[in-house]
Amino acid sequence: MSDWEPKIIAFLCNWCSYGAADLAGVSRLQYPPNIRIIRVPCSGRINPKFILAAFRHGVDGVWVSGCHPGDCHYIEGNLYARRKFALLKSQLEYTGIVEPGRLHFSWISSAEGTIFAEMARRVVGSVVAAGPAQHFIKKQAEVA
Amino acid sequence: MQPCSESIREAAKRLLLEKRVDAVIGFRKGTVPFMNEPFLARTPEQAGQLVWDGNCAINLANYLPKRTGSVAIAAKGCDSRSIVIHLLENQIRREQLYVLGIPCQGMTDKRRIADRLNGRQVLQAEETGGKVRVSGRDFEQSFERADLLQENCAICTHKNPVLYDELLGQPVEEQQIDRYVEIGKIESMPPEQRRLYFDELVQPCIRCYACRNACPACYCPTCFVDESKPQWLGKTTDPTDTRTFHFLRAFHVAGRCTDCGSCERACPVGIKVRLFTMKLEKQVKELYGYEAGVTQDERPPLDAFRPDDPEPFLG
Amino acid sequence: MPDIYYTAKENFAGVIERLMGRYRVYAPVKEDRCHGFAPLRSAAEADLGFSNTRLSPKGLFHPQAERMFEYSLAKDDPQAGIVKEAQKDFSPRVVLGVRPCDAKAFDLDDANFNTETIKDPWWVRRRETTTMIGLACDSPCSTCFCTSMGSGPYDTAGLDVLLVDAGEGYAAEVLSEKGKNTLEVTSGWSPVTSAILPLTHKKKAAEQSIGIAFDPAAIAKKPMLELYNSPTWEEVQFACINCGACTFVCPTCWCFDIQDEVCGDKGERLRLWDSCMFPLFTLHGSGHNPRSQKTQRVRQRFMHKLKYYQDKYNSGPACVGCGRCVQACPVNIDIRQVGRQMVSQGCSCPA
Repeated sequence: MSDWEPKIIAFLCNWCSYGAADLAGVSRLQYPPNIRIIRVPCSGRINPKFILAAFRHGVDGVWVSGCHPGDCHYIEGNLYARRKFALLKSQLEYTGIVEPGRLHFSWISSAEGTIFAEMARRVVGSVVAAGPAQHFIKKQAEVA
Repeated sequence: MQPCSESIREAAKRLLLEKRVDAVIGFRKGTVPFMNEPFLARTPEQAGQLVWDGNCAINLANYLPKRTGSVAIAAKGCDSRSIVIHLLENQIRREQLYVLGIPCQGMTDKRRIADRLNGRQVLQAEETGGKVRVSGRDFEQSFERADLLQENCAICTHKNPVLYDELLGQPVEEQQIDRYVEIGKIESMPPEQRRLYFDELVQPCIRCYACRNACPACYCPTCFVDESKPQWLGKTTDPTDTRTFHFLRAFHVAGRCTDCGSCERACPVGIKVRLFTMKLEKQVKELYGYEAGVTQDERPPLDAFRPDDPEPFLG
Repeated sequence: MPDIYYTAKENFAGVIERLMGRYRVYAPVKEDRCHGFAPLRSAAEADLGFSNTRLSPKGLFHPQAERMFEYSLAKDDPQAGIVKEAQKDFSPRVVLGVRPCDAKAFDLDDANFNTETIKDPWWVRRRETTTMIGLACDSPCSTCFCTSMGSGPYDTAGLDVLLVDAGEGYAAEVLSEKGKNTLEVTSGWSPVTSAILPLTHKKKAAEQSIGIAFDPAAIAKKPMLELYNSPTWEEVQFACINCGACTFVCPTCWCFDIQDEVCGDKGERLRLWDSCMFPLFTLHGSGHNPRSQKTQRVRQRFMHKLKYYQDKYNSGPACVGCGRCVQACPVNIDIRQVGRQMVSQGCSCPA
């Protein structure tokens, strides 16, 4: 158990948050290596199915990050996304599919490399505290 | 004057004779107690089969998407709001519709009656003046109608249609009630208990999709269940897949669900699927001040945004 | 002279316990608002005072979802890369308390799963290793119409033993070698030599309490195309919402889908219930769908059950009149009514 390393999927929007991740890397900022990044064109691209699919696969945490509202490269993508995220997070936690501390959202612009690293540390710390994901993982179908 | 079979028949016959519409969507008498069958009347003779009583619960708006030609439809409060959603989502044009609005006093729930009868089978049921009288092989019993209402009807705050061309009956008084008492109870459970609660709730699910198919808001040509590239969930009764199905289905109707209760009513194994949709309804109301289908002037919440939308998910 | 035995009800728990000692016993157990067949963990769980289960016991032979084959690619697995048949438990079972309609349904299902040339290995093995101990119906439901479909509340088709509630005890009519062996194992039964007239009375009473639905023989006689092209299907299909409720609760519906699932380095092929009511059911790989319209699918279901099966096997309809579809249908499409419409199709007498 002590050598468990959390697996966290980060959906980062191409224009802002992915750029921030890039900047954090180029600036040699230190943050835990547990984030696996999936680049999407916009946070508005995030479909609840993606987040469910990630948890079904057995990831311990999911982090979604996009441009600050008002700064979306596609003008309004993240403004639609906001409502999706609000409902998604509350419903996932209400139905007990996702324990508190596993699902995170942020708005990080491409200049905010340090904030990205800081958020990454925070996300990983939060997922570590929640422990390895045990429920809602699709393994072999439980059938006859 | 309360809406009754006679008023529906009269209106339907008139509309068909005048050729105002090609057909009338309503109900005809069911073959078993507490059930009626959705029915399409194309001629004044067929219109004579229409009925209206406390068993007309299934949301008839379900039969509207992709419909061609003009059609009249019997719509109670929740149904009329589903029609508004369909109009907003271009599933039918307003010119095609003649809405027979029906102020609703609520529909009876055959499961509630079954609970009270302890396994004794109802052979005949009759509803008169606020009472429901049932009789079986060797018993006869009478109940207060108000005690037998479907759960969504008992907490309904939109009994009167919001959209109609003709109102069949006097508007009824709307009630002020906290719709989210049940949801509140679940919200106050610790996360682990909530997880187990929902696991147990959907355990009997046989993945028949009656809930999805009875829902007027679920009309996707290819449901996410049938998507294969990628496949989002398996089709067996595996518990994780079943949880995924119910979660996503409720999410897809977020802000569009009018709590007509058809999903719960249709479920052959009696799962309270509204415990998923009601939470989203509550969130949509609290965060965006929106109630599905009440007005045609506002887009459904996930199809819109405001610059000052709350961000409770951050941090 | 039928082979009949008797045991007092106070001995019956012991009978069940002795059965459980030798077999896996499935019996109706109380669920939330209904009953369902489940493996017994104790004799007390069995509740024979039920009318019928909500889901038919077909899941005991044709599970809702079952694993067919599996493979693993794990490097440390000596059998990696080999597709293996999934391990199944075919140890002897007893299904206790199955109603005659359901038992007959499995005989009808054999036409699909157990033919001269094609045998479904798991269905066949499960049928071979299962003893069907039926329970005659004394209080049929108002939705039952088994007598119209060639079955009945005391019908013996598909059963190895038929139990009849004789008030203070159960009478058991042995119908097969397998049934005889199973009863012998349980002991506690004494042969009945006196007349069984009271039971004949009960049988008649039960049969008469069931309404007549329609005569499937009349449907068999009609030309298929006349029924197929009937304009009444437009009316029947309107209410249908194309869910799978009727097909899933029906004991004679056998259609299945095959799905492959991969999880990490393991993969498996699964068989699961499918429904002809789903639009995807007949979707071809090319994109063409011969039953893309709801009317076609609704017509298909009733024609298959009440006409095609009769034409093909000459042994009555693929329906046993259990009435589950009537109870489960969210929009009250009633097969009895559809059957009546099919019977009167082409008749010129006033409706």
